[in-house]
Amino acid sequence: MSDDPSPWAIEAVGLGKKYRRGWALRDCSFRLPAGRICALVGPNGAGKSTFLGTATRLVTPTTGTLRLFGVPVTDPAVMARTAFLAQDKPLYPRFTVAEMLRLGRELNPRWDQALAERVVRSGNVPLTARIGSLSGGQRTRVAFALAFGKRPDLLLLDEPMADLDPLARHELSGLMMAEAAEHGTTVVMSSHLVSEMEEMCDYLLLLAEGRLRMAGPTDALVPAHLLVTGVASGDDGVPEELRQRHTVVESRVTGRQFSALIRPGGPLSDSWEALVPGMEEVLLAYLRSPGAPDLIAGEARPDASGEVAA
Amino acid sequence: MTTTTAPAPTTAAPGRGPLRGLPWVVWRRHRTFLRAALLLTLVGCALFVYQRIGVMDFLHGKGVPPGGDEKLMTEFQSRFGADFARDMEYLQYVPLVVGVFLGAPLIASEQEHGTLKLVTTQSVSRSRWLAATLGLPLAVAVGCSALLSAVFTWVWTPVHGLAVSGDWLTGGAFEATGPVPAARTLFLASCGIALGMLIKRVVTAMAATAFVGVATSVVWGERLRGHLAAVRSVTSPYDGDGPNLPFDAARFDDWVATADGKLYGFGTCVSPDSAADRVCRAKLGIVNRVIQYFDYDQMAGMQWRGAAVLVTLAVLVLAFVVWRTRRRPL
Repeated sequence: MSDDPSPWAIEAVGLGKKYRRGWALRDCSFRLPAGRICALVGPNGAGKSTFLGTATRLVTPTTGTLRLFGVPVTDPAVMARTAFLAQDKPLYPRFTVAEMLRLGRELNPRWDQALAERVVRSGNVPLTARIGSLSGGQRTRVAFALAFGKRPDLLLLDEPMADLDPLARHELSGLMMAEAAEHGTTVVMSSHLVSEMEEMCDYLLLLAEGRLRMAGPTDALVPAHLLVTGVASGDDGVPEELRQRHTVVESRVTGRQFSALIRPGGPLSDSWEALVPGMEEVLLAYLRSPGAPDLIAGEARPDASGEVAA
Repeated sequence: MTTTTAPAPTTAAPGRGPLRGLPWVVWRRHRTFLRAALLLTLVGCALFVYQRIGVMDFLHGKGVPPGGDEKLMTEFQSRFGADFARDMEYLQYVPLVVGVFLGAPLIASEQEHGTLKLVTTQSVSRSRWLAATLGLPLAVAVGCSALLSAVFTWVWTPVHGLAVSGDWLTGGAFEATGPVPAARTLFLASCGIALGMLIKRVVTAMAATAFVGVATSVVWGERLRGHLAAVRSVTSPYDGDGPNLPFDAARFDDWVATADGKLYGFGTCVSPDSAADRVCRAKLGIVNRVIQYFDYDQMAGMQWRGAAVLVTLAVLVLAFVVWRTRRRPL
């Protein structure tokens, strides 16, 4: 990795984008340490693409600031350091694969032709084929080659694996992980498939309805939660003890049984049966409960450092 | 303009050709159109040169300067009339074709296919991308039409009093010679680019550009062309033979007038009943016929003034495109 003064690949403060139909992204503040593989998750329309747009200068934010490696995103100098793979993988259909790679070479000072050709060749995509004649998966591979070949410090991928078969998905994510590890690349990958991200990512951003609901390293976020089961009591089903001493993210009553996903605020009494949830369970609980308090890990806060705070 | 390709050459053989960086990308994108434009320009120039040889032979054979000789005019028309009409039509359509097929898709197709997201997230800034995207195709298109126009002007000038019966103003020569074709190409291409950028759909933008092209040529012909220089007029008695215009003057308008110069429309007091017409004329005091015209020596000035108007408009349109691209991402 290059000798950066800033240890943060992304610092967003109060970032927001308003379209005519409303806010696509609102008051988004977090920071992402360099070298992480970050999952940007959220349902469709949560603001994932808008956020990636602001980081690639395709979208001008309405409010707030965004810095990449300490450089404001408005400075053209950031362009050489980021690579972006758009959701629809746009390429020129009349170019051949070789010409598409030449475009990467002509427009990027840090271009790595050998790497780009390796990515293309490993998928048996002929260099002389026209882009328009390739299958969806092959086009995705060429788009990946363009993004990798740029040798970015920050790789932004919008739904990268959606149209790949499982084999290619496995191979390309392996390649990406190897590249990221070798060059210390920071990766931000958006997806609504949580399961595919869980094993790859060590950082998590959860967006819902344009708001940042959760941010932080996965090993701090997920273990901060407990799945508890017990006997239902109280008027609305949530027992007094949970309500007062812990943060209830989501709760459910089935007959006399009460179950909830909580952020424990202290030791739990013995009357509860507690389980450690998976990442998917935590994410789904937050998505189902728009009213639950957000969880921004201390490390991910742009203005503070410390432990996980509620 | 080239990118700062600092690192050493990579494994693949570098492409042939002089273009590097953004210009290469822009050239590759519009390769088909630009190659066709260059080829058609060469073919057109060759045809014009061939035509000039025939025209000069004809003039030398006659051994007279091309004056207002009816017989010479008829002979010229029967031999070269169709050729010149075709050339002028061809040159008048060049700007429209450039506007519709090069200008309109220039930015619109990048927006429609999402490739704008690809090129504007590489390492070159948006303003440099815009400069190359606008500059290279416009330079080729304007250069080609300027060359075609220059060669055609060279063919047409010796016979300007014969071709299209000497009517250089409305006969097509005004739009097909001098600086006008290049200025119209620049103007319509800029309109196409701006419309494409705003509409973001290639086919709709092409249709809109074609409409603007037709509309502006109507405005140009009806409202602008006749006002680019002070019109000259010649007065003659109403019942006389009519004045003799210089053979290469372009007749602009006909009037009838009173003795003190008050103009009436050409159709004033014209009806099937000639006795009533006389009474009508006597009542209004019409005694003269007036012909308004432009002399041939006014033509070049009029063409340059018209071209200046078009270039100014084109610069304004392009400035709008640049301003909008800088103000917010497309």
